Amino acid sequence: MTDDIERRDVLIATAMFTTMLGMGFWTEAAMAADAKPSTTVLITGASRGIGTEFVKQYAARGYTVIATARDPAKAVDLQALAKANKNISIERMDVLDHASIDALAAKLKGKPIDILVNNAGIGGGGVNQVFGKINYAVFDDVMKTNVEGPLKVSEAFIDNVAASNMKKIMMVSSSQGSVASVRSASLYFYRASKSALNMVTVNLAKALKDKGVIVGMVAPGATDTDFMIEVRGRMPLGKPSERTAGMIVQIDAFTMEKSGQFFEWNGETVPW
Amino acid sequence: MPAKIPRRTTLVGMAATFSTLAAKPVYAQGMGTVLITGASRGIGFEFAKRYAETGWTVIATARDPAMAEPLKALAKAHKNIRIEKLDVSDVKAVDALAEKLKGTAIDVLINNAGISGGSQNQKVGAIKYEVFDDVMHTNVLGPIKMAEAFAPHVAASTQKKIISISSTEGSLAGISARPDVNSIFYRASKSALNMAMINMAKALKDKGIIVIMLSPGLVQTDFVGDLRLPIMISAEQSVAMTMPIIARVTMDDTGKYFRHTGDLAAW
Ligand SMILES: NC(=O)c1ccc[n+]([C@@H]2O[C@H](COP(=O)([O-])OP(=O)(O)OC[C@H]3O[C@@H](n4cnc5c(N)ncnc54)[C@H](OP(=O)(O)O)[C@@H]3O)[C@@H](O)[C@H]2O)c1
Ligand SMILES: NC(=O)c1ccc[n+]([C@@H]2O[C@H](COP(=O)([O-])OP(=O)(O)OC[C@H]3O[C@@H](n4cnc5c(N)ncnc54)[C@H](OP(=O)(O)O)[C@@H]3O)[C@@H](O)[C@H]2O)c1
Repeated sequence: MTDDIERRDVLIATAMFTTMLGMGFWTEAAMAADAKPSTTVLITGASRGIGTEFVKQYAARGYTVIATARDPAKAVDLQALAKANKNISIERMDVLDHASIDALAAKLKGKPIDILVNNAGIGGGGVNQVFGKINYAVFDDVMKTNVEGPLKVSEAFIDNVAASNMKKIMMVSSSQGSVASVRSASLYFYRASKSALNMVTVNLAKALKDKGVIVGMVAPGATDTDFMIEVRGRMPLGKPSERTAGMIVQIDAFTMEKSGQFFEWNGETVPW
Repeated sequence: MPAKIPRRTTLVGMAATFSTLAAKPVYAQGMGTVLITGASRGIGFEFAKRYAETGWTVIATARDPAMAEPLKALAKAHKNIRIEKLDVSDVKAVDALAEKLKGTAIDVLINNAGISGGSQNQKVGAIKYEVFDDVMHTNVLGPIKMAEAFAPHVAASTQKKIISISSTEGSLAGISARPDVNSIFYRASKSALNMAMINMAKALKDKGIIVIMLSPGLVQTDFVGDLRLPIMISAEQSVAMTMPIIARVTMDDTGKYFRHTGDLAAW
């Protein structure tokens, strides 16, 4: 509502000035104000689970959505979504493949991205992370997907985000990364990766403050996606739609004052 | 055998006078065997030296013992130091050493080996991703693998302690409260190490093993390069402060993150 009033006021004021001064500059401003406000989000790991949900919900808001996936051909649900909604475009990006990140950044050069959601993540498999039987072969995949990837993607798209209105970089972290909350041993690598991601995010928030970029962490809580396949039926899991809607509310609420902070989907703060 | 001799010396000292005991540094009590990673230089070398001088049996590991001249000299001067080759980022090498030392009780395992990755490689906007794996393997994977492979040796000992040298640079609360951005991989690796070791503390509690994280202070070693700050301490000072902490921690302390001052660091 207030937005509409302001926009009308701007238009009236602009029209007056345009007539009075007859300057092209004001005409341009009026046109920009008149155009449908365009907000662009980029989602990583959009092929399944929470990533697909982000795409669906942001597109439903009328945002322009750049849905990235490491293997778009396999992302059947995402393709169907994109077919039904012109605001969704699908791009290939594997967060483990820096060349693919740089290639997409080059392709999107100059295009403002209001919200970058670093969602792609892997658990590494609970069975691989049991004391006495830890499978070190999965360490790199977990660390590189969950820590290095989000940092590289953020670095590659800094200029796009800085050129936008909202200027937000959001990490999908996890309460599993909360060092203070560990009750029993499990998921060594996954938990360590999310603690590491949080530390990366805290530093990124500080590094990008001068550019006006807000950097934060959100988490969905235990959510019913493929991610939880090992524990499905053994613990309560939230609906992806509901948890993602919650995270979107938290992302909306992020301001520069909150940059570097971490909120659960329901607004609860997560202890370090 | 060598472990027996110093222990008897302590007993003799105790019998002599109480003041002798009081004058003895706390870490001289209850000697045992310590295994140290990254003992070729810096803090790790200093741990090897101090523990050896105190009469402990020291298994000093280094990834390239042939190059570790000071350590070799130290081992020559102290018969209770044994040098073993070990690169902590090499999972197979850790298994091989654990196998070689099978049956040896290790009272204290010190996960000290660590690298920063070079702060010049970690500046946002020009990050050199090629150092990421090295930092994570040395600072996170290595200590996890060491704890897992040597848990039986530690469980078979009297003191049963696994110490990981972390850093306040890994403190999320601490770094959040500071304005500086620095060594993003290194900081992340130490947060990850803390998380891994908290889990390790939970996993090893039933075996009676105490797991703690220790921040050594800002220590003047090769690690900090040319940096010189008034708050810096020497490796000697750092180790003199942390050895008593290692000596006094009990199962009540497992999973805690200590600063060299003995205070707890914030997560
Ligand atoms: N579900 C939960 O309970 C839960 C709880 C806390 C946090 N989280 C976090 O939420 C995020 C999303 O999880 P989810 O539940 O939606 O998991 P999911 O259903 O397993 O989906 C993971 C997504 O990440 C993508 N991905 C994995 N590696 C990738 C790579 N190298 N490059 C690009 N994309 C990659 C997958 O793509 P492919 O289809 O190509 O495999 C998939 O789209 C993760 O960061 C996870 O840690 C989840
Ligand atoms: N100095 C400080 O101010 C400070 C502050 C906080 C925490 N720390 C931590 O304290 C620990 C020791 O640091 P320092 O100051 O003594 O550093 P340093 O003087 O640079 O020594 C590092 C040691 O780690 C060894 N090392 C590195 N990678 C290894 C690997 N893959 N396998 C086995 N050994 C390896 C090195 O061996 P080579 O001789 O073969 O290279 C060297 O002995 C590190 O964990 C560091 O993060 C230091």
